[in-house]
Amino acid sequence: MPVIEIENLSKSYRVYQKQEGLLASVTGLFRREHKDVHAVREVNLTVEKGEFVAFLGPNGAGKTTTLKLLSGIIYPSGGTARVMGHVPWEREIAYRRRFALVMGQKNQLWWDLPALESFRLHQQIYRIEPQQYQETLDELSELLDIGRLLRQPVRDLSLGERMKMELAAALLHSPDVLFLDEPTIGLDVVAQHRIQQFLKKYQAQRQVTILLSSHYMKDVAALCQRVVIITHGEIKFDGSLSGIVDRFSGQKLITLQLAGDETPKNLARFGQVIEEQLPKVKLRIDKANVPAALTEILAQHTVEDIVVEDPPLEEVIADLFSQVQTPVAT
Amino acid sequence: MRKSQIRNPKHRTENCPLSPRLNYFRIFLTFARNSIVRDMTFRANFLIDCLSTITWSLMDLGFYIFVVFRQTSQIGRDTGWGEWEFYTFLATTKLINGLVQAFFMPNCEEVSELVRSGNFDFALLKPIDTQFLVSLRKIDWPALSHIGVGGILLSISLWHITQREIDPAQLTLLTGVAYIFYILCGVAILYSLMISLAATSIWLGRNESLYDFWFYITNFSRYPMEIYSGDVGTPLRWICTFIIPVLIVVNVPARILAQPLAAETPEARFLLFFTPAAAVACLAISRWVFYRALRSYRSASS
Repeated sequence: MPVIEIENLSKSYRVYQKQEGLLASVTGLFRREHKDVHAVREVNLTVEKGEFVAFLGPNGAGKTTTLKLLSGIIYPSGGTARVMGHVPWEREIAYRRRFALVMGQKNQLWWDLPALESFRLHQQIYRIEPQQYQETLDELSELLDIGRLLRQPVRDLSLGERMKMELAAALLHSPDVLFLDEPTIGLDVVAQHRIQQFLKKYQAQRQVTILLSSHYMKDVAALCQRVVIITHGEIKFDGSLSGIVDRFSGQKLITLQLAGDETPKNLARFGQVIEEQLPKVKLRIDKANVPAALTEILAQHTVEDIVVEDPPLEEVIADLFSQVQTPVAT
Repeated sequence: MRKSQIRNPKHRTENCPLSPRLNYFRIFLTFARNSIVRDMTFRANFLIDCLSTITWSLMDLGFYIFVVFRQTSQIGRDTGWGEWEFYTFLATTKLINGLVQAFFMPNCEEVSELVRSGNFDFALLKPIDTQFLVSLRKIDWPALSHIGVGGILLSISLWHITQREIDPAQLTLLTGVAYIFYILCGVAILYSLMISLAATSIWLGRNESLYDFWFYITNFSRYPMEIYSGDVGTPLRWICTFIIPVLIVVNVPARILAQPLAAETPEARFLLFFTPAAAVACLAISRWVFYRALRSYRSASS
């Protein structure tokens, strides 16, 4: 039985269109123009226990909104969702004890107090037995390497340290489902890497179900077997990382190593010449033309080496995002 | 091999019959403790807060001692609120204000900011009654100095009204218990108004009128209800008793101490029954408003 089942889930907002200027602001007091923003449209998704799924999409694509719906923070405009058999927005206490949401942009710990004080409060709110609490805390503080920071006021911690504390706070009650909303945002490479390592290890050992939204391809590549691409509130792709390239990139990169005195003869007719540093030439060619182009190139040039490869994943995704970035009438 | 391995938790808390019950009182104590730890971190701020509260209370009292009661011996005509009776009333105002300001004011005030910033999300995630969490998260300890001032003033004025020559007030254990009971009713009514107003910020996106509102409301409730009479006064009294019942908040408990029950009008006796009913109704309505508003929460920013 799937842990998360989402059917035709939709969320739209009415937003006030604020006009520029003083006069417009005054008029806005009496008459307002609204626009409907469809943050999530008819999303369908099923996630099995123990899966680590990434939500990938440009800003405003609906990733965070989906996570908020699944956490029961907001009500949907349509559709249904069940997480471990609970309807999230009914906000049952039994459900809220079994999942956690970590938001990279928001801070839930008491700012002026050591994190340990917030943890104790969590122990009481989540009804964690003292022994289990201590065990979990010890494990988390070792894995995250935060033991020495527990007694420092949260406001004195660095962003990376604070993020680790947020993670620890969210995991104290050993949730079965974990929603991570850009947990590595704003962190440096080292801190990002540490968080990734932690999540990987934690997920592997506990078999929790994790939905992660992130902008960083590195997060996704390091952690998730399954990727869901969302743009404009709709799911555009659901599959493995390598599947993205197969599906969305119609091109191949070809690198030619020409023989010593060979000069390239109008290679641009096959596709785009990306780089020309003789004797090395790099081309981007439509998949369908690759065999024909190669035959012709080999016939006309003396070639010492050929590499045919897929374009880098990040490039494919960036292309994909920029294609859909063009506004769609709502 | 790392020393610590994450154990697969076989005994999940929700399956464990021995898991401790959600203990709201204990959580409240932790809130109280965390608040005091935080307040103590900023010691100077804490002391200034206490000092300004006490100074304000003394100035308020001085206004009645040196200004009002130099002009008159009673608040209102033939109302039975002489100087010491009125100080009992004033002390009751301070006790109730102190309780509301210490426990509910900082939290209700923060709701607007939490909603605007989107940090209200965390309140909704916790497996605990959201209204409880939002209403009692922080305690404004310095506001308890109102209670100190109120307590001292109450003791002095009670001594006077029990020692007066004509018809001295009789205090029994029952009056004491009734007094505390009606004070709690009053706090419940003010809290309900406050949390309902705070909940509107969920609909409106922002509502920072709470302090203003508090000022207007307490302005009405801080005088004996007898002074509201005449063409405008009577309807006002009626509205502030039955529609937004702020007039009974201080009046009902204060009367129990300061006015002999035998001399009470039927209306005052009726209010003894009406007040707890109003408190319960207010709590129920405010809870409905609060949960209704939660449905519309939009969660700002990502």
